[in-house]
Amino acid sequence: MDEWKPNPTVKPHKKRSWYLAWKYKLMNQRALRKLCQTGAVLFLLVTVIVNIKLILDTRRAAYEEEEESAQDYDDEMLNVEAPRHPVNNKKVLDVEVYSSRSKVYVAVDGTTVLEDEAREQGRGIHVIVLNQATGHVMAKRVFDTYSPHEDEAMVLFLNMVARGRILIFTIKDEGSFHLKETAKNVLKSLGSQVAPFLSWRDMWTFVGKKGGEVYGEKHAKSPALSTWGDPVLLKTEVHLTSVEDAECHWPDTELNRRRKRFCSKVEGYGSVCSCKDPTPIEFNPDPLKDNKVFDVPVAVIAGNRPNYLYRMLRSLLSAQGVNPQMITVFIDGYYEEPMDVVELFGLSGIQHTPISIKNARVSQHYKASLTATFNLFPDAKFAVVLEEDLDISVDFFSFLSQSIHLLAEDESLYCISAWNDQGYEHTAEDPSLLYRVETMPGLGWVLRKSLYKDELEPKWPTPEKLWDWDMWMRMPEQRKGRECIIPDISRSYHFGIVGLNMNGYFHEAYFKKHKFNTVPNVQLKNVESLRKDNYETEIHRLLGEAEVLDHSKNPCEDSFVPDTEGKVYVMFIRMEQEADFTTWTQLAKCLHIWDLDVRGNHKGLWRLFRKKNHFLVVGVPASPYSSKKPSSVTPIYMEPPAKEEGAAAAPAVAAAEQT
Amino acid sequence: NGAAFSKVRGSQSGQDSTRWHVVRKFLGLTSGHNIPVYLIDPLILGLVDKDIEQIRSSPDGPSPECKYFCAPRDFTTFALLDKTWKHEVGLFRTAEKMGFQWLKIINKDPRLDGMDDLSGMEIPLHYIFKLASHAIHLVVFYERSGNFLWHGPLRLKQPMDRKFVPFRKLHFGRYPGAYEKPELLLVSIDDLKVQIPKNPSSFLEEMSHSRFLECRYREARAFFQLYPDDASLDAVEFRKKAKSLLHLAALTLNNLGVKFWLSSGTCLGWYRQCNVIPHSKDVDLGIFIRDYKADIIPAFQNAGLPLKHKFGKVEDSLELSFQGEGDVKLDIFFFYEEDDHIWNGGTQAKSGKKFKYLFPKFTLCWTEFVELKVHVPCETLQYVEANYGPEWRVPVKTWDWKSSPFNVQDNGVWPIDEWDNVIQIY
Repeated sequence: MDEWKPNPTVKPHKKRSWYLAWKYKLMNQRALRKLCQTGAVLFLLVTVIVNIKLILDTRRAAYEEEEESAQDYDDEMLNVEAPRHPVNNKKVLDVEVYSSRSKVYVAVDGTTVLEDEAREQGRGIHVIVLNQATGHVMAKRVFDTYSPHEDEAMVLFLNMVARGRILIFTIKDEGSFHLKETAKNVLKSLGSQVAPFLSWRDMWTFVGKKGGEVYGEKHAKSPALSTWGDPVLLKTEVHLTSVEDAECHWPDTELNRRRKRFCSKVEGYGSVCSCKDPTPIEFNPDPLKDNKVFDVPVAVIAGNRPNYLYRMLRSLLSAQGVNPQMITVFIDGYYEEPMDVVELFGLSGIQHTPISIKNARVSQHYKASLTATFNLFPDAKFAVVLEEDLDISVDFFSFLSQSIHLLAEDESLYCISAWNDQGYEHTAEDPSLLYRVETMPGLGWVLRKSLYKDELEPKWPTPEKLWDWDMWMRMPEQRKGRECIIPDISRSYHFGIVGLNMNGYFHEAYFKKHKFNTVPNVQLKNVESLRKDNYETEIHRLLGEAEVLDHSKNPCEDSFVPDTEGKVYVMFIRMEQEADFTTWTQLAKCLHIWDLDVRGNHKGLWRLFRKKNHFLVVGVPASPYSSKKPSSVTPIYMEPPAKEEGAAAAPAVAAAEQT
Repeated sequence: NGAAFSKVRGSQSGQDSTRWHVVRKFLGLTSGHNIPVYLIDPLILGLVDKDIEQIRSSPDGPSPECKYFCAPRDFTTFALLDKTWKHEVGLFRTAEKMGFQWLKIINKDPRLDGMDDLSGMEIPLHYIFKLASHAIHLVVFYERSGNFLWHGPLRLKQPMDRKFVPFRKLHFGRYPGAYEKPELLLVSIDDLKVQIPKNPSSFLEEMSHSRFLECRYREARAFFQLYPDDASLDAVEFRKKAKSLLHLAALTLNNLGVKFWLSSGTCLGWYRQCNVIPHSKDVDLGIFIRDYKADIIPAFQNAGLPLKHKFGKVEDSLELSFQGEGDVKLDIFFFYEEDDHIWNGGTQAKSGKKFKYLFPKFTLCWTEFVELKVHVPCETLQYVEANYGPEWRVPVKTWDWKSSPFNVQDNGVWPIDEWDNVIQIY
């Protein structure tokens, strides 16, 4: 098992040996050789001339096309036949796989399809899926199985790959530390002999067909804890099957043609490519009666997370009242796979050459996407802005249809957002309830065209300013005291854990327990009360009705709120001036809601639910609602944590900004 | 029973019933797929226009003869508003089953052209459906910012069959075009139910000067590479005001039916950077003196733009200036046509000196600018070069209207007794 051989000498390339054989044969005859030489020179000359002409012509053609001048149609046409390459009928692929501490690579027929020698990244098991008929790369993944749970993701992925595909594995640095039994068994079932015994810092390469033969496996054991196994290079051949064998035989419909195109190109999308029982790619959800947002364009902002995009678009296209014609997916970069996903669903997609770096890149991508949206839909007064890592609630459009007139008519509104920053499983209760908040949550929101065109677009942060677009939009210079409308229970769900500022821990802590509406056709309650002045009346009514909680108790304890249901309670916290969130932040922390910055406030008031009771928090004396505080009650003050903890929290805040 | 009808009528008058049949099939195809096409064929609309009263009054009446769709032509032109259909491939499959050969001409989407580095899918601009000896040219119209419809040029690419139809003879596609959104009317002509523009003559009039120029976005990007854009708050504010002033001016002049174009600095801004030049401080428009109307001044005043000054007179060197919101001025120059050139005048208030600015002759094209459909000289480069000289690409911040323009000439002095009339300052 552990045998280690020096690299066998490289076999001459097949094509070349065929060519050499011919050459030598011909060389045996002098005359023929002469003839050949002359022929070759002539051929060369002709090729050169043809090529030069082709280049010149192509240039001219390109130039003329660009000019858009009123050329005669005939002048632009050139009767040049593109030289045809002979169809490659080769049935065998040469595969090279390399595994080592600092570098991995995979070459298929001499073309490098994976090369990773970057420091400090790409650790773990790299997996490549090839189409068994064409040899094309259908998926490329890396699972950092040195870290926990990544092996589960790998198992999930491998299970989704269709039978018959060619799988290539290689380890960079370390891939065994958190590679659990289940994962090892899956690798074993694929035919790996080594996988069950893979251990600390072993090097490993494996090529096999899912549900079929093994094409090769190599392994180098790490001799000691402190060192890595020797690099291994696996060279093997894979026999291709016919295209028919590699494809499913779905009925020939337009939808299935899209499916076929998609499934022969990419892997890892599971049942959508199942031969027997493929999951639908057209959803036809119920239309919405009197849909006010049917003609509102929907911009989906995407990067290179095609699996996320796939999940996102599925939920979006399943939402009642969706109008697929209004959806445009904006992809930040020339990535093929997200575009494949877009085409699978028959939507339109636009790619965007990356400008600037990191947050500024995201910011420029947003600007380009929003501008393009209003160019493409010049009649639109609004645009819905979504991101690729959101699930969309079944009543998302119904929610917007019922509330969008407010954004049209109430100048004091900045946006409508589907996301309630404070809407967790234990703090959100009423799907028909809306709030006004001074913060802009993003994560599925509606933008007014006039706001964008007149205010935001002209002064959007330029690429050299490394700003987050959403932080910039939240700044007082932009927001100008305006508010957003949000639902108590969010109409979007943030599922992304791989992102610019995202990691598993962060997601688990702040997003996983977020409440997400799954009830269709929710009739929103009292939408008119969300208008600027009406809302004040509503708040005063609520506070008038609210029962003041016992301020001698600890607000973090469950017993702070009585075991009732459907009541309204109010508590008062200390808030010296408008920007004093000391006590609020501590309260938010112990209630396990968003505490990384202040969200969800309206004039020093927060509204949430505790134990199915409406729970109001008023900041005294900064809030205008302080007058509702009975004189006997002393506002609760909560100490900020010790200094060093605060320092440690600072980077987390930075990380939380763009989510 | 159209087939019988055309047989009889067609053969009697020696006309081409093939065309009628192809049009009927095409209309069947599109209505079968719920695709609302409308007729824009200028030759047919020209005939229809003559009988428009009668056609309007009897929308269902049977035709005694085949008057419109039987004239032997190579093709008939229809229009389709892009957003009214879903690009279903089913249409083409049905078309093929009916015996049509079809050709699709796609190109890049101009609505994304102005955007940095976006590459969308190419969009269909024209379709040709051919059956027997007749072809249907289907022009796809797109909505553009500025509330108008746009169709693209027809350019053939490499592998296309250039003999598919006589492309040169097509009525649409030599240039891109800009149109108002038409009101449509369902009529029955030659026993075919078809949508036509409600007012065919105004559509034909519009068509005769519909040529559209796209802004030179690529060059504008290159310009901003060289001279980064002014993103200061002042610049943002000025652009916003200039844009709303231009919108107001366009609304006012369009209501009067007065044709105007972007002139001077505003034209340079469009041509050079596809935007308002932030340090230009005013908005400049040109109007041919033959289009002058006395209502212009009161119309602007009613729109909330007081007259600031009036120089010259209708017969000579007329120039109006209105005060927009917050220091932004609207200058309207009137242009006088001579045999071999066009000019406008200038007047120095304190000295009564006259100036003349000469331009080579030009025609007007549509363009899109700050979400507005406006005219610019089609021969923009010559226009801009005449005004700003060969160095027009270099931004100049200090500008003297009496000496800086490349094409300025002294033009004498106003006689003192005319001053009260030709130099009015408010």
